[in-house]
Amino acid sequence: MLQRSLLTILVLLPVAGAIAAVAYGMAARRGETAAKWIALGFSTATFALSLLLLTGGGYADSAAFRFEQNLPWIGAIGARYHVGVDGISLWLVILTTLLVPISIVSSWHAVEKRPLAFYAFILLLESAMIGVFVSLDLLVFYLFFEASLVPMFFLIGVWGGERRIYAAAKFFIFTAVGSLLMLVGIIALYYIHLRQAGFGTFDYTTLLASLRSSQMVLGPDAQFWLFLAFAIAFAIKVPLFPFHTWLPDAHTEAPTAGSVILAGVLLKMGTYGLMRFNLALFPDASRYFAWVMITLAVIGIIYGALVAMVQPDVKRLVAYSSVSHMGFVVLGLFSFTEQGMQGSLYQMLNHGVSTGALFLLVGMIYERRHTRLISEFGGLAKPMPWFATLFVFASLSSVGLPILNGFIGEFLIMLGMWTSPALSQTWARVATMLAATGVIWAAVYMLWMLQRVLFGRVKNEKNKRLTDLNWREMGLLLPLLALMIYMGVYPRPFLNRSRAAVELVRSRVVATEGGGVIAER
Amino acid sequence: MLRYIILSPLVGAAICWLAGRRVRSEAFIGLVASLSIAVSCALSLWLAFGTGGALVGEPRVILDHVWTWMEVGTFRADIGFAMDRLSGIYACFITFVGLLIHIFATGYMHGDKSFYRFFAYLNLFMFMMLTLVLADNLLLMFVGWEGVGLCSYLLIGYYIDRKEAGDAAKKAFVANRVGDWGVVLGIMLVFALTGSISFFDKTGIGVPVESAMAVINTMGVDAFGWRTLFAGGITSAAILLFIGATGKSAQIPLFVWLPDAMAGPTPVSALIHAATMVTAGVYMIVRCSAIYTHAPTAMFIVAIIGAATALFAATIGIAQNDIKKVLAYSTVSQLGYMMLACGVGAFVAAIFHVMTHAFFKALLFLGSGSVIHGMHHEQDMRRMGGLKKYMPITFATMLTGWLAISGIPIFAGFFSKDEILWKTWSTSATAIPSWAGKTLWIVGALTALLTAVYMTRLMVMTFWGGERFREAHAGGQADEAHAHAFDEGEKAHDAKHASAGDRPHHEPGAHVGDAHAGAVHASVVAHHDDDADEDEHNAHHHGPFTPHESPWTMTVPLVVLAILSTVGGLVGVPYALSGGTFNNYFEHTLEPVVERAPQRGGGHAEVGVGNASHATTPAASESHAQTPSHGGEGALPPSVGEGEHGGAPAAEHAHDPAEVRAERIFTGISIAIALAGLGIGWTVFRKNPLRVMPRLLENKYYVDEAYDAAVINPIKVGSREGLWKIFDVKVVDGLVNGLARATSGLGDIARRMQAGFVRGYAAIILLGALLVIGYFVFNFTRVLSHL
Repeated sequence: MLQRSLLTILVLLPVAGAIAAVAYGMAARRGETAAKWIALGFSTATFALSLLLLTGGGYADSAAFRFEQNLPWIGAIGARYHVGVDGISLWLVILTTLLVPISIVSSWHAVEKRPLAFYAFILLLESAMIGVFVSLDLLVFYLFFEASLVPMFFLIGVWGGERRIYAAAKFFIFTAVGSLLMLVGIIALYYIHLRQAGFGTFDYTTLLASLRSSQMVLGPDAQFWLFLAFAIAFAIKVPLFPFHTWLPDAHTEAPTAGSVILAGVLLKMGTYGLMRFNLALFPDASRYFAWVMITLAVIGIIYGALVAMVQPDVKRLVAYSSVSHMGFVVLGLFSFTEQGMQGSLYQMLNHGVSTGALFLLVGMIYERRHTRLISEFGGLAKPMPWFATLFVFASLSSVGLPILNGFIGEFLIMLGMWTSPALSQTWARVATMLAATGVIWAAVYMLWMLQRVLFGRVKNEKNKRLTDLNWREMGLLLPLLALMIYMGVYPRPFLNRSRAAVELVRSRVVATEGGGVIAER
Repeated sequence: MLRYIILSPLVGAAICWLAGRRVRSEAFIGLVASLSIAVSCALSLWLAFGTGGALVGEPRVILDHVWTWMEVGTFRADIGFAMDRLSGIYACFITFVGLLIHIFATGYMHGDKSFYRFFAYLNLFMFMMLTLVLADNLLLMFVGWEGVGLCSYLLIGYYIDRKEAGDAAKKAFVANRVGDWGVVLGIMLVFALTGSISFFDKTGIGVPVESAMAVINTMGVDAFGWRTLFAGGITSAAILLFIGATGKSAQIPLFVWLPDAMAGPTPVSALIHAATMVTAGVYMIVRCSAIYTHAPTAMFIVAIIGAATALFAATIGIAQNDIKKVLAYSTVSQLGYMMLACGVGAFVAAIFHVMTHAFFKALLFLGSGSVIHGMHHEQDMRRMGGLKKYMPITFATMLTGWLAISGIPIFAGFFSKDEILWKTWSTSATAIPSWAGKTLWIVGALTALLTAVYMTRLMVMTFWGGERFREAHAGGQADEAHAHAFDEGEKAHDAKHASAGDRPHHEPGAHVGDAHAGAVHASVVAHHDDDADEDEHNAHHHGPFTPHESPWTMTVPLVVLAILSTVGGLVGVPYALSGGTFNNYFEHTLEPVVERAPQRGGGHAEVGVGNASHATTPAASESHAQTPSHGGEGALPPSVGEGEHGGAPAAEHAHDPAEVRAERIFTGISIAIALAGLGIGWTVFRKNPLRVMPRLLENKYYVDEAYDAAVINPIKVGSREGLWKIFDVKVVDGLVNGLARATSGLGDIARRMQAGFVRGYAAIILLGALLVIGYFVFNFTRVLSHL
């Protein structure tokens, strides 16, 4: 029973939570406080249940989907409600369920305007995000992918900063335009399958099986267009340079909880999609486009870092650093090596944890000072020693200091790229060397920001009486810090579980048209 | 067992950080911190010299595999430690010197508000440094490598409310990161070439890991030439790793961070920026000697960079007035020597110099710390003088450090420096053409002369002559304005500006060019008052004072280090100077674990030489004896030291009498150079300690300014004005907005959205649907037609 419906429960539980919170909040007196607790309760329960996914067992050895549920949905077009997890989606689901309760607690006192709606949107968003990672039917995937836009649109548009409308519209237009292209691709896949195999399907596993058994063959042109349709949708989501300009605005204007979820989970939907669909379904086009994606990724790494360096606003700085970090993820995916792709997946988790923590920290200081301008701060280490300690810690993780999580991901990605068969050896190495400069830039922008925010003398009178973190805030950050250390010191439980699934995708992409394997160095 | 050497300081750091915050007892924190290092030290010595130790008996490697860190595809990295002779020597001197510096620091940091934080960082540093040294693979070494960089960052910026400390800390971290770029890529290249990143073969303890170095030893030696640098072979790996070494070990072009790092507390300068961390680059090169010996081009570059850095830094050091800055440039210069030694293939001599340098430079730094402490945090030597009367122990101990670094016989520095110079002259490595060896020797000798001169200047300005600290506070002295300006952390001003009529301006409008002495004084005093509450580490509000000797916690480490600086070099007395009675013990010990550079005249270990450092079997120690190393050519004998390796009976024959005679002559030259340096220093500065130094030198050749103008500012401005404000805002957003407006009035919808979300949302969906259909019709038929 649980085996069958655990994923459905995970998807629906937050929706139930949203309904419960709104219903109780409207009905009862002082219901708004209760709504918070209800939201927290449901999201924590979701997190606890999601840990049961780990009991699936054998992730290390088998790429098969677990906890599958496969029900007919729209019979006429063969659309099915098909969900399941493998080693790739497993960790992303857990990352999602972990970050949602954290972001709920982070808004505990920050959200005063319409709290019922706020928490309801966060829970709905959680539902959609989990749905994205577990759906195995392209139509269902698309619906969840789009559904995640709406709550986020409102989170930014209603609870955001001054330019929230502009940011929300920009966010929506960028991502919605992209995903429409994907819809076209999905429909095209359906028709191609219908034509070649005799029946149309949106089912990922069926499509994959048909491709493997050559029941369905995608020619170069078809792959070319389909790859583009999917890749543009995902590249905007990642965001890959030059589609990144919506991100700094969305992040800066979003409330803290929104930023945490946006950076922590929403961006990963893009890289997850690239890995799951682009690489696995269109391997020839993936190889064809590898140099484009690698080039854009490398540009993104350096560009994001350079622009982050000169930002006057802490939150914008962290947002641009995301562009840089997500560039690494894309780079790893298109290295087509085990190290690179595993590193990519790991880096998705790392980025969720580290950048999530950074946005939380920025939010905490914003709640105190109602500004995020670096020039307003300075010397915060004195009035807020714990804040300073944790901020330095999270920054070091983001910078990729060895023994913390970020390093493992970045190193594996670079190692993968270094030996990548996607480009000629010379270009693979040039790309790696350029990407590796990201490590230098990260140190520059992060440490410079830390220095201006935390160190030096307290110049601004307003900063002298700031209170240090309270227990609620510490409680939010400490689990993330513990994860940073654990994931940096002992990454094997994560890497082992994702190996088989990543290898399956990779085996698709390194196999050439003739069925051989492109030369691996 | 090895893991406990590393764990102990980590536990110490945790206790200091967590408990020290509450307890706030200096005695408790000092004790915990020092004890944790004492444990490491005892363990290291035991594992190195005890029965079955790494440094006694047959060469062997003690391995301690903790867990597999990551294993992805064929790539594997372990958390595992190893002690062979090289890391054994390193671990011993690091923990020992570290212990002394910890004890010293309990005295030096007395009364500091965040005593616990200091010792937590210091212990964390020891943890990272020991990880670096004892790591059994490149990636774990890199953990320590970055970790010491982090601790260095934290400790340089320890006085968090001082801006120059923060700047220096950041500069150090970033400069090191530039180097780390090379290390990461170097590690990946080593993996790509050999399929392993381990230093050692671990199959002996049941872990399926083979040694990358052994694989390299089976490969051919790269050709000598610029092309190999970019060929992606061993030479490229060597160069990439060396880029890291130039960062960590402060070589040209990345040396700029080390002098600024003196903004940290003095024990930090002694421990991190003199004795241990900065020698990590040398350690890495020697550890990877297999790589370098197969990359003659890289060795050539290492030698040139080393020699150039040695001379360059020495010329700057001669003109500095801050006692710690002199020592900092001196450190850069000495590190240059070590690199030079690596470059000419004298790896053992490099490590020997690392060790003796750790003794005497830690001594000199701690001595300067004692001086600074006794002078109430005064660092400008122009405001010292005559201190030998007040600080006899500090004076006596620094005297030995001075003689040691200057290269006076029997003191530690003499043997190691002499060894490097001799090996440079006599090198027959193919990497170094004959003319280059001679040229490098001249550079090295010149540096030796300058070293003696600037160290004499430092001693003279500090301990001899008039008591200028009294004059300085007597008021009305022209010199005061200058010294003060210097102390304010501003750019060093030329001493000739110290006259009352033409003084440096440290605050706009604070001075008037033609003010007479009295007015000058007034303005300076006023400035003091402004500053008084701002900077507790500034000495100026102490008023007249008498310098005092430091407490025992500080002088005892000084005495111990002084003894080591005096006799520590005796472990490396070369055969030629021993009266022909015994071989060089230090060299004899280390020879089995370093590779031998290919020699001119044909003899080199090109193929199949199992290296003892990479094997767990004792038999491998004899492998060198099998090397066809001498090629039988009498005209080109190998240098003395290199003939001894392996401890085979053949070693005795390696002492060619002509060679021994030549080495003795060169030793004589070294001694003459050192004495000349002392003499010049004494005659020039004894009478006139405040002698004006060339402006170019005092301003460090304006390297910092050049970097700012050529690299840092263009990047900053370009990123802000070009990438962000033009590309992001104008180009991408402009394009998107323009496209939106042009195609379907998206801008209009976006504007309407401000009126009502639902309507806007609906409009967008509608638009989306239209787009879909349009695209569908337009393109889908094409897709299908290609099936």
